[in-house]
Amino acid sequence: MNCVEFEAQLHAYVDGELEPTAMTVANAHLGQCPECRNRVARERRFRQVLRGQPRDSASVELRAELRARVRRAARVVAIRLWLVGAAAAAVVLLAVSLWPGLRPGPSLIAELASKHSVYAEIEQPAEFRSDDPRAVEAWFRERAGLHVTVSDYSPSGIRLVGGRVAEAGDRKAAYVLYEKGHTLMSVFMVPASASQAALTGTRMSYRGHDYVTLQRKGYRTVAWTDGQAVFGLVSMLSYDALLECADRLRLDRAARLGA
Amino acid sequence: MRLIGWLTGEDKVREFEAVALVHLDALFRSALRLTQNRAEAEDIVQDTWLRAFRSFHRFDPGTNCRAWLFTILRNAFLTRRRRANQEAVGELVVSEEAWQSATDTDTLIRHPEDVLLRSVVHGDVDRALRELPIVHREVVILADLEGLTYREIAQVVACPIGTVMSRLSRGRAQLRRRLGHLAREHGYAKEPE
Repeated sequence: MNCVEFEAQLHAYVDGELEPTAMTVANAHLGQCPECRNRVARERRFRQVLRGQPRDSASVELRAELRARVRRAARVVAIRLWLVGAAAAAVVLLAVSLWPGLRPGPSLIAELASKHSVYAEIEQPAEFRSDDPRAVEAWFRERAGLHVTVSDYSPSGIRLVGGRVAEAGDRKAAYVLYEKGHTLMSVFMVPASASQAALTGTRMSYRGHDYVTLQRKGYRTVAWTDGQAVFGLVSMLSYDALLECADRLRLDRAARLGA
Repeated sequence: MRLIGWLTGEDKVREFEAVALVHLDALFRSALRLTQNRAEAEDIVQDTWLRAFRSFHRFDPGTNCRAWLFTILRNAFLTRRRRANQEAVGELVVSEEAWQSATDTDTLIRHPEDVLLRSVVHGDVDRALRELPIVHREVVILADLEGLTYREIAQVVACPIGTVMSRLSRGRAQLRRRLGHLAREHGYAKEPE
């Protein structure tokens, strides 16, 4: 790759939107080209200026108005439904149930795992950097409406780095990023219904729970579903370490949901 | 209680608000940056909110709610602009080529980037955005101020990812150029020799 080719991909590179193979090629070029490294640094600074802009919020009055207006609209719809009768309601229900749902691609896990391999190559993979689990959870809620449980693995020497939001199969995926030494570990979570969460891979069992595992290009993935979301851990760390962390997350999540 | 909730539509409202409310601030901010006018932004958010609620049955839970809401917001914005016969219609057909010349060839090469960026003062970004044609303004707002991915933006503006990338690249170049001019107006950066 030369500078002209790199420049054509500069924005996608900085935005973290390159495919894993393209990312590897771009990194190889950056490794030997100080000029392109400067370009990347310049783009990053520009993004920081834009992201650092004041963040206005909807006013209390606007919120109240919106609350009132949807409720009025809902009442009108409800009354209309009753006037037209149960037959019409049945038609509506049928229409809703026939609406085609989005199905995941054949390998949701493979897609999720491959994103990790991209992040593992970026210098600062976290969109939001923090080692405070509660702060990272709050960021996911605000940034993407995702209710993520962030476990603390620091007793095992696995340090929380931050979070990142990505897309997988047309839906939002939360990536909680950790580091053990220089090895990155991602914990991902994607909302998905039971039928959408059919996982393919090798089955493994640990402390009474079933997991689906996958190994590709040195990265190991351990995934499971609770019927509402697909969870997984990806890293070059051993399966033992990943399963241990998975079990911790399950316990933390169960405790949180039970609370 | 459940029956009453169902009869009055309150359940549906709650379900809608549970997934949509977290995006309200982002929608409002983007409307504000698109219109540069608080009253108009609030009107657009209200339109968006009602349209989203009415078509909520078509929304598949688990899919991308933010992109869905932004798509509705953009349509609400464009509809109003067309109705008011303002800038949008003319500007939407601005050819991509017309902006090709507007790349970062002048300001940034002559001015060290750090000087320029340090000199961006409050309100500059909004002023600079205002001067971008809507096709570029919207993608920059979505990507750089609200953090949407290319795929989400492509869904919102209904065009291929390649087009999103080229608009984004031109929009950012334009924005830098404008920020450079504003920095010079403040006297932080010198006139190009």
